[in-house]
Amino acid sequence: MQAPRFIRFLSGRRLDWSLALLALAASLAPVGALRPWTSDLARLVSVPLAPVSHFGVFLRARVRPEQAAFDPRAPETVALEQEVRQFRALYEQARLENERLERSITALAAVRARLDGTGQRLAEASIVGTDASRRDGAARINAGIRHGLRAGSVALVSGDILVGVVGQDLGALSASLIPATKLPSLGVRLYPPQGSDPSTPLSAYPGAMLKPTTRGTWSADVASTQPLSLGMVARLADDRFGRTALGARVGTVVAIEPIEKAPLARRVEIAPLASLGDHSTVIVVVESGAPE
Amino acid sequence: MRWSVYIAAVLVAAAFDASFGAVLAVGDLRGHLLPSVVVFALLSAPRRIGVRLAMLAGLVADLLAPIVVSQASLVDGGSDTAELLVVPGPRVLGFALGALAVLPLRGLLARHNPLSSAAATLCFSLLAAVAFVAIFIVRGWVLDGGTPWWPGTGGGEVLRRALGAAGDAILALPAMWVLARTRSWWGFTVMTRVSPGLARQGGAG
Repeated sequence: MQAPRFIRFLSGRRLDWSLALLALAASLAPVGALRPWTSDLARLVSVPLAPVSHFGVFLRARVRPEQAAFDPRAPETVALEQEVRQFRALYEQARLENERLERSITALAAVRARLDGTGQRLAEASIVGTDASRRDGAARINAGIRHGLRAGSVALVSGDILVGVVGQDLGALSASLIPATKLPSLGVRLYPPQGSDPSTPLSAYPGAMLKPTTRGTWSADVASTQPLSLGMVARLADDRFGRTALGARVGTVVAIEPIEKAPLARRVEIAPLASLGDHSTVIVVVESGAPE
Repeated sequence: MRWSVYIAAVLVAAAFDASFGAVLAVGDLRGHLLPSVVVFALLSAPRRIGVRLAMLAGLVADLLAPIVVSQASLVDGGSDTAELLVVPGPRVLGFALGALAVLPLRGLLARHNPLSSAAATLCFSLLAAVAFVAIFIVRGWVLDGGTPWWPGTGGGEVLRRALGAAGDAILALPAMWVLARTRSWWGFTVMTRVSPGLARQGGAG
């Protein structure tokens, strides 16, 4: 008898008010109270949406093809150029790794351990949903723990362009990507557009810590006497994202201005080379022991 | 009203917005299908369940739009790391407020006119947007937590969402036309108030 009386009590306007109060409490709840259950609930809701949103992304790619599809050059040339870019990224990755090895002996031991045990490979994942409310919002991909995906893995497009990082809310078959422009900081090195000169030491290429701006770009204060120019390419030089991500292209320098308070430093603005919202697939780093 | 049809329509609209919707964006002016579905239901569903059905759609919208919060990491020597967080509530309350604004308008609007439906959608989206921004500002004060518009400002977000509301209203024009073709599936009860008059009493002669 108790339940029906309660249900009768909690109906009509009272039910609306109760739901509103519940929503207000959830809106103002701390991160620790929300994290354990909201991501699971979101994954549950995204399951029935997956077929429709997958079809929508496929249609979107047809209606508004990615930039590369408009390239008038022959596909073989495009593929070769992409390979060149990939190898350049691998080369920069190797140089950055080399510099790191030389920096300290302890790092050498850690890197050897990492090299021995890195069982990582690259895999393609489709974007099955984006944040409808904002262009620079998170995206959902159809790869998860079962595919060997780990939180913090990077997502690349066009071979070597960093577009995002896998978030903590990993599901068995899906995961969310945090756009690179939403990361609080990114350590990069600035190179000329044609790449680095093997005979020049890496210290000749200025490093910078990128911070996101309100315009969807990054800004960084570069305290270096090395010449800076528009069009310079920022490549990831941040150990937090793993060895595989080192050397990946992040963006290009679009503005350089002096800093009044620090005459020896300059402020650069860097525009991203690619946006997560413009692609239907990404390349992610997965553990090679996991099934395809 | 059939809840199953409404839930299916909300899920399809949310999936459409999350995938194909980006094609319809012109700068910050981007229309969403979800508000049109909610307003369509609000204009015909029983008044007593109006707020509840808007809240349900708000919950789906909240669950599909995680925000990026930055946190100090212990493993990286205290450096900032980004993390995704789903906050179920801001759009629930925003949609509820939008519904409270649209429900009294039902009597004033010609429900089957796409223009009046678009006006209702504009009103709904604007109020939902204002409530959404306000809730996140309060959340920021209370918890010092992240906001979806970081590193932008709240004022910029209100302007962006006002443009988005205009986009919702524009998209509502074709959407309402399509939804009106499916009216029979929704199981709306049509109540016609018959008022007594001379013609009905047979006393005209």
